[in-house]
Amino acid sequence: MEPLRLTGAKRAGPSRRALLLGAASMALLAGAPALALSDTRSTEVLGTWYKLLLELIRHTATYSPPVASRAFAYLGVAVFEAVASGDPALRSLAGQVNGLTAGPVRENAAYDEACVLHGALVHALNAHFGNTGPTGQRAMAAMTERLGAVAGAGVAPDVMARSLGFGTAISEHILKWSATDGGAVIENMGFPYEYTLGAQPSSWAPTSTVAVQQRPLLPNWGNNRAFTLPADDPCGLPLPTAYSEEPTSAFYAEAMEVYEVSKTLTDEQKSIARFWSDDPMLSPTPPGHWISIALQIFERDAVPLALRAETMALLGMAIADGFIACWRSKFEVDLLRPITYIRRLIDKKWEPLLNTPPFPEFPSGHSTQSGAAAGVLAALYGTNFAFTDATHEDDGIAPRDFASFQAAAEEAAISRLFGGIHFRPGIEMGLVQGACVAGHVLKVNTRA
Amino acid sequence: MRKFLAALLALAPMVAAAQDPAVPIFTEQSAASGLTTAYLGDWQYMVGGGAAVFDCDADGRLDVFLAGGEGPAGLYRNRSEAGGDLRFEPVAGMNLTAVAGGYPLDVDSDGVTDLMVLRVGENHLMRGLGDCQFENANSQWGFDGGDAWSTAFSATWEPGATWPTLAVGNYVNRFEEAFPWGSCTDNWLHRPNAEGTGFAAPLPLTPSFCALSILFSDWNGSGIRDLRVSNDREYYKGGTEQMWHVAPGAEPRLYIEKEGWKRLRIWGMGIASRDLDADGFTELYLTAMADNKLQVLNKPAEGAPLLPQYSDQAFKRGATAHRPYTGGDLRPSTAWHAQFEDVNNDGLADLFVVKGNVAKMPDFAADDPNNLMLQRPDGSFFEAGALAGVASMKVGRGGALADFNNDGWLDMLVTNRWEAPQVWRNDGTGVDARWIAVDLQQAGSNRNAIGAVVELRTDPPQRREVTVGGGHAGGQLGPLHFGIDAAEAADVRVIWPDGTVGVWAEVRAGETAVLAN
Repeated sequence: MEPLRLTGAKRAGPSRRALLLGAASMALLAGAPALALSDTRSTEVLGTWYKLLLELIRHTATYSPPVASRAFAYLGVAVFEAVASGDPALRSLAGQVNGLTAGPVRENAAYDEACVLHGALVHALNAHFGNTGPTGQRAMAAMTERLGAVAGAGVAPDVMARSLGFGTAISEHILKWSATDGGAVIENMGFPYEYTLGAQPSSWAPTSTVAVQQRPLLPNWGNNRAFTLPADDPCGLPLPTAYSEEPTSAFYAEAMEVYEVSKTLTDEQKSIARFWSDDPMLSPTPPGHWISIALQIFERDAVPLALRAETMALLGMAIADGFIACWRSKFEVDLLRPITYIRRLIDKKWEPLLNTPPFPEFPSGHSTQSGAAAGVLAALYGTNFAFTDATHEDDGIAPRDFASFQAAAEEAAISRLFGGIHFRPGIEMGLVQGACVAGHVLKVNTRA
Repeated sequence: MRKFLAALLALAPMVAAAQDPAVPIFTEQSAASGLTTAYLGDWQYMVGGGAAVFDCDADGRLDVFLAGGEGPAGLYRNRSEAGGDLRFEPVAGMNLTAVAGGYPLDVDSDGVTDLMVLRVGENHLMRGLGDCQFENANSQWGFDGGDAWSTAFSATWEPGATWPTLAVGNYVNRFEEAFPWGSCTDNWLHRPNAEGTGFAAPLPLTPSFCALSILFSDWNGSGIRDLRVSNDREYYKGGTEQMWHVAPGAEPRLYIEKEGWKRLRIWGMGIASRDLDADGFTELYLTAMADNKLQVLNKPAEGAPLLPQYSDQAFKRGATAHRPYTGGDLRPSTAWHAQFEDVNNDGLADLFVVKGNVAKMPDFAADDPNNLMLQRPDGSFFEAGALAGVASMKVGRGGALADFNNDGWLDMLVTNRWEAPQVWRNDGTGVDARWIAVDLQQAGSNRNAIGAVVELRTDPPQRREVTVGGGHAGGQLGPLHFGIDAAEAADVRVIWPDGTVGVWAEVRAGETAVLAN
């Protein structure tokens, strides 16, 4: 991937969150130059492992978007805890997020921070992607060796061994915590062996000829333990527009909007739909798209290690909680997709631009998680933080420029209308839900 | 619930309803067959493992070439007696390693079948010398074998050409360790040289997206064989299934969206082809992981142009073969070689799919039986693998349905990763279902009439295009088998590769007819 092209102003003033984060991130936001030398090995370790992580997400069959979001969250927390364990300015997430207890404690001895981080990531990636194919296994083995050399350059053997072991212990602690959240075991690529479809005209119905997709993806995902959502505010949504097949009804009008937009799509609208399509197995998924945005910003702005760790933890949890909240709503509402309604009542041969995902419509998952991601990133980097997103450049999809994270989230959301896979209320309410999720995530205090 | 479902699945295929097709009984004869070549190796041999089936000693029996991966490839002479046990004996002299697959064809039109050998490394065009002896003809024919991870092959004779045009599909850059994704290497098109003595330098078919099966086919009845490419989405970026215009004298050119080509992105692994309904257009079966496609060309409205657009009828016709049908392993399947042939001689092409985990991927079935789906008169398919006795749980890759013992019933060969191949003798259905075979011969070049179409006036009518390519890393060259059910004979005609329409000729049941152009 080529270096990012800078576009416009990087920022327009610090955010409230940046003020809260303190001097380190403020230095970044003021345009502080270089990383501390001691951080350079760590940032290379972090960035390269995450580059591989995006590939593993794309190429591991169980990693549908909800499952991907979970991995990003736990890996982000593991990264943060590893970095925080050696940085007195950071505060552990133990006791702040649901179910996480205090982790291992360092001995009174020397540690190398890059090796701690490498140890944590080696363990975490192998734990989460033990099921990936032979190519992914080969890549992880190569990366373990390659980045081990980077992390351990100039480090005394005993310090390296102690540090790798401590990083591993942190990841083991996180992994043990993750095992009880309800999302650890994925069978049949997430499609239940048994499921009774809803019997209402409004109920979701299968939309593809793929056999496993005759049942919806991960119908119980909304029951998973969230990272930050409290039991009394799981970011639920009001019901969408009442289902009706009457041509004069509001619901019919919403379907007609999807249909008519599909008939008049501009090249720009097609580009937007495809840019945010983020299909599993063919991209790093919608969660990975936002992780990729963060990684690009890290490189462009030489973001300090502590803020990188905070970003991966908070962004990961925001996306994961977004999917949990969204999936709960999806299966409570159980609404059919536009393709089902339009072919039933408007045009039997209608084809949307994008493939329709195999689960209920309301709300839009990409909208929810993009709203959550944008909320967290805006708090960390600024509300008018401009960036260029080249996530899909390797796939031949041109980069796009955004004036803010919120602008990107709104484009991701409306892309689902252009793609013909969501009604407008699912898009708009998804963004609302995402903002709610971000609010909970941002209550976590990452600074000591 | 899962255990209950598994129990149901284990029992379900043991019962055939009255309306289901007659099931042939296969007897496994692997141990005594003499075939021992396992497909060996680690990462670079997770794909491939094909079998080539052809008569290399002109004794009227189909011999076998087996890819060996890191081990030696195997060439076996068929010693089976008519109607007898399946017996093969190794032929010395090939001494090839790093072989992923093989396809037979008569490259130089000398009447002796040659062999295209796909390798991890330089590909070899092996010139047939007769009596199952071969020599490497890369230099003699100007064939550049390259240096890639070659995984797919197809051949055609372009109109007017005296030498074939060869297409080679290549896979990932095998030297990329940490980030191999997106490193698909170019496929190649080897066209004849201007002198008519062999091949010109290969043309790269850019972009290439990690092909695992390719096939020249006259998909629209135009007389031009375009190149269909099935790609493994695991490794490409920005890729899709592809089809290339391969028009005589013109640079190869991709079909694009404006021509009606639609993006399809699958773990493409194998292609089977047959005009299942004899409507003039070939259906395709595309194998993959967890889902397989039965592509049927969409018929245009009256007056509208015919576009390269297909609908997937696998789900509708019971041919998804997406998970094991017996044995209790409910995880998704991994499908490789596929082939349409009529194994019960009822006049309907059946579907054979070889299954096997990539390696030990825990999200996919470990006990993944090969499929034998018998076609019903209504076009749907009935899974008969367990009833027929061919539900092997080994890690399959390549395969072939072929009449190894010349009894009119197609036998089965399956290659396996890390283990010896398996072979089953087809003992028939117990029903008096009959067959004919057709051996096409042309004078001059393209001796085996690759690109011809054979039509049968049976009920229902039959039609098949003669191709070299598709499958998974292996193909066949030999008489074409047709079941004719209870008929005593069938009228057959050939539309030859140059478009010449032959006359209808009666072929008696149980006969192999040589039809010449």
